Parts: sequence; structure tokens; C-alpha cells
Amino acid sequence: MPLLPETNNLGFDRENMVKMRDVCKTYAGGVVALDHFSLDVRRGEVLVIIGPSGAGKSTLLRCLNGLELIDSGSIVIDGIPLDKNEANQLAIRRKIGMVFQSFNLFPHLSVQENINLAQRLVQKKSPAQANTITRDLLHRVGVLDKAMRYPDELSGGQQQRVAIARALALYPKIMLFDEATSALDPEMIGEVLDVMRNLAAEGMTMLVVSHEMGFAREVSDRVVFMEEGRKVEEAASAKFFTQPQQARTREFLSQIL
Amino acid sequence: MAFVSPRTISKAATLRDSILFVLSLAAMLWLVLRGAGQMGYSWHWQRVPGYLFTLEEGRFIAGPLLQGLGMTLAITSISMVVAGLIGLLTALLRLSASPVGRGLSRIYLEIIRNTPLLVQIFCFYFIMAPILDIGRMTTAVLALSLFEGAYASEIFRAGILSIHRGQWEACHSLGLTRWQGYRHVILPQAIRRIMPPLTSQAISLIKDSSLVSTIAVYELTMQGRAIIADTYLSFEIWAVVACIYLVLTVSLSILANTLKRRVHGAT
Repeated sequence: MPLLPETNNLGFDRENMVKMRDVCKTYAGGVVALDHFSLDVRRGEVLVIIGPSGAGKSTLLRCLNGLELIDSGSIVIDGIPLDKNEANQLAIRRKIGMVFQSFNLFPHLSVQENINLAQRLVQKKSPAQANTITRDLLHRVGVLDKAMRYPDELSGGQQQRVAIARALALYPKIMLFDEATSALDPEMIGEVLDVMRNLAAEGMTMLVVSHEMGFAREVSDRVVFMEEGRKVEEAASAKFFTQPQQARTREFLSQIL
Repeated sequence: MAFVSPRTISKAATLRDSILFVLSLAAMLWLVLRGAGQMGYSWHWQRVPGYLFTLEEGRFIAGPLLQGLGMTLAITSISMVVAGLIGLLTALLRLSASPVGRGLSRIYLEIIRNTPLLVQIFCFYFIMAPILDIGRMTTAVLALSLFEGAYASEIFRAGILSIHRGQWEACHSLGLTRWQGYRHVILPQAIRRIMPPLTSQAISLIKDSSLVSTIAVYELTMQGRAIIADTYLSFEIWAVVACIYLVLTVSLSILANTLKRRVHGAT
């Protein structure tokens, strides 16, 4: 008999970090963003989600950390169900780090203060404790020399690396990347992808919405192709790019590759 | 090439504008003097300083006008703080998820913005003050704070709504509570943005404070009226009172501008 049951009635699952079942989400105005969508993400897995715009990719990520409320279905993150219980919602938000297309750094705070803020408010760390973690993270993403600067004094690539450091400062178990490189000038995409690549190598569970097919092929374990809120195809990344099963997937790949 | 640098143009324009400005001032002064002359008004400027202050044995003694100024400063500064708090609270209530909060703040706004300030002051003085057993000064502060607070709340609301949604989403994803998001991220940015309209509102408050002279609060305008009732120095005293208000409001704008330049990220 295994020491821990594979699942209990809370839906705890040793294997899966994310468990979505039959999730539906329709926006006011009738746009269907997720249509009975189910997805499991294993611990340490890097999952890339691709699809045309309006496919529901961003909505998928935003539902996971409660930025959007789902209409029906269930989401369980690291054993905690995402439901009406506010304590559960908060616990889930604190397990998940999110990186946005438009960085969303706080413009009135310096880089260091941006990263310290949630450590101080959410984790109640002392300024010294927070500073140590912040400086270590800034070093890891290569912008330690900008610690005292303000976001508008940084390039887009630097801002996005700071945003990643800000999310990592809370030691999340899952990182969500919502088109993290789409707003960047081409020469800055590489530096952000490098940071993401290192993170994947360290074993972080990552859900990445991206148009960077090179990154998807090289770094991800699995690729999901979505359209109109549904999963069209899902496969290990090597197989996905070399032997796509669905005609629609082949068509999409031929358009963007 | 016959290009004229912008600096040269602006210098010439500045000179021309300055001359026009001096000429307009001179014309206005001439009109006033001519009007006074036709009325047979006799000027007594030498009596005015005595109403501002007197020196007795080298000791400075504030006259009624400076005492009135002190009262005006006291009323407006307290009202500014209270109006700011009321404005912020009302704005937060209007943006909250609670229907009761939204409803109450809406009713408050509509009542205040759709009735004259003078009527509100009278209502407070003749109805609320006896019920609550409060003095004239408190009544004045309360009426002015509630009036300006309604306008301030609209400024706060617009400022809060002008902050990009992504800032809220970042707060949310970092696990901040709604209040922490307001306190540390949204309000610091919003307040920088709304400094100019908030300053205008504070200037309105200074000017509107003259209306509490109607309930016999001895602020600047009331002192002016009292002196004129005794002395008939209406031209001199009103001119001096107006100048004192002008100095107050202009200093406030300058102060606000200096503050705005000092903080980072003010856009």
C-alpha cells in the first residue's frame, strides 16, 4: 500500500500541480473563452500553450490564479480547490507567480522596492530579509545594477526580468507567463527567454502562453494547441512539432513557423 | 537661412505680452480711480495698516484683518484634511462591491452637488447645530468639509480609475489584499496624478470659506465686513481682503507645483 493515497476527497494529487476539469468561462457579451476545458500539469513540467488570438490562452492562465472567475467546472492547485472560500483563493494566489505581457511593474517604486513590496506585506519579512532575497534574485536575472532605478529608466527586457524576479520573490510553486515576450523589441526577447530557460532547468512548474516556437520546442515538455476555448491537440513537444495529428494544428504551425 | 529660433520668438512675445499686461493694469487702475473720483470717494489708505497690525512699544499686535486671516487659515486647513478624508472614503465606497456603500455615497454626492453651499451652511447652522449642540466654528468646518469632500471624491474616483488595470492584476497575483493594493500601489500613483485638480479644489475651498461669514464666524471676510460697517472704507478694505485671498491661493498653487516636481513618476 502506498504511504499516501493517490487522491483523497479534497482532490489532492501528488503528481499533478494543476488539475482543471470541464472549466467553462464566458465573458459578459457572450464570448466563450473556455469551453469544457480540462488540463493536468505535473510538478516540474513546462507546458507551452499556443493558438490563434482569442483562443482563450490568456483566460486559461487568468482563471488559474483567480483573476477571472470560472462559470463551471473545477480547478485544483497543489491540492487546494479554487472555490468561493477566500482563504483558499489567497493561498492559491500565493502559490502562483504571474508574468504579464505589459510587465505591470509599479512605476512609483524603485526596482528593489517593487520586489520587496509583496515580501514585506504578504510574507511579513523584515526589510533586511527582503533585501537579501531581492538582491539575490536581481543578480540571477542580471539586473542587480539597476536595483535603485525606477521601471521607466529600464529597457523592456530589463523590466520584464525584474517582473519575473518580483514574482519569484514569493517562492511560487507555479509560474504563469502570459505572452511575456510579446511586447518586447526583438533584440530583448532572448534575454527574457534565457531567464525562463534557467527557471525551467531548475524544475519550476511553468505554464507559458507564447508565440516563441523555438522556446516551445527546446524548453517545453508538452504543448497544448487551443482554439475557441477548446483543446485541439496536446502532445509532448518533440512529437507535437514533428508529427502533429490534427489538420488544424498543421495549418496553424505552417502559418507561424 | 532666415530661421528664427523659438527662444527669440518667445522673448519678443514675452516683451509684447508684458507691455500689454502693464497697460491693462494701468487702464483698470485708472477706471477705479475715476469711478471713485466721480462718487466723491475720499481715500484713506493710511488707516488700512492699523486694521492689519499695530506695533505697541515694539510689540506686534495682529489687527482684525490678520486675526480674520488666522481664522480663515484654521477653518480651511482643518476642512481640507477632513474633506480629503471624506472624499477618499466616498470614492472608495463608490468603487466598492457593496451596494449599500455605493448607494449611500451616491445619495450624499447628489445632495451636496445639487444644492447651493450657502443653503447647506444655513441648514447646518439653523438645523444641525442646535440638534448636535456644536459651535459656529465646528458648523463651518463641517459644512465646508462635506461640500468640498463631495467634489474631492469625484477627483479621487477619476484618479483611481485612471490607473491601468494591470496594476491591480499585479497586486492580485502577488497576493496583496485589496486594501494593501490601494494603500501601496493604486493610491500613491493616483494621488500624484490628481494633484492639479486637488489643488484647484483646495483653492475653491479657501474662496468658499468666505461664505461662512454669513453665520458670523469671524474669518477674513467677516472681519472685513465688520470694519466696513464701522468705517465705510469699502474700497480699501475689500481690495486688501481680496489681495490676502490672492496671496493665499497663489502660494498654495506654488507649493503644489513644487511638491509635484519633487516626487518620482508624477505624470
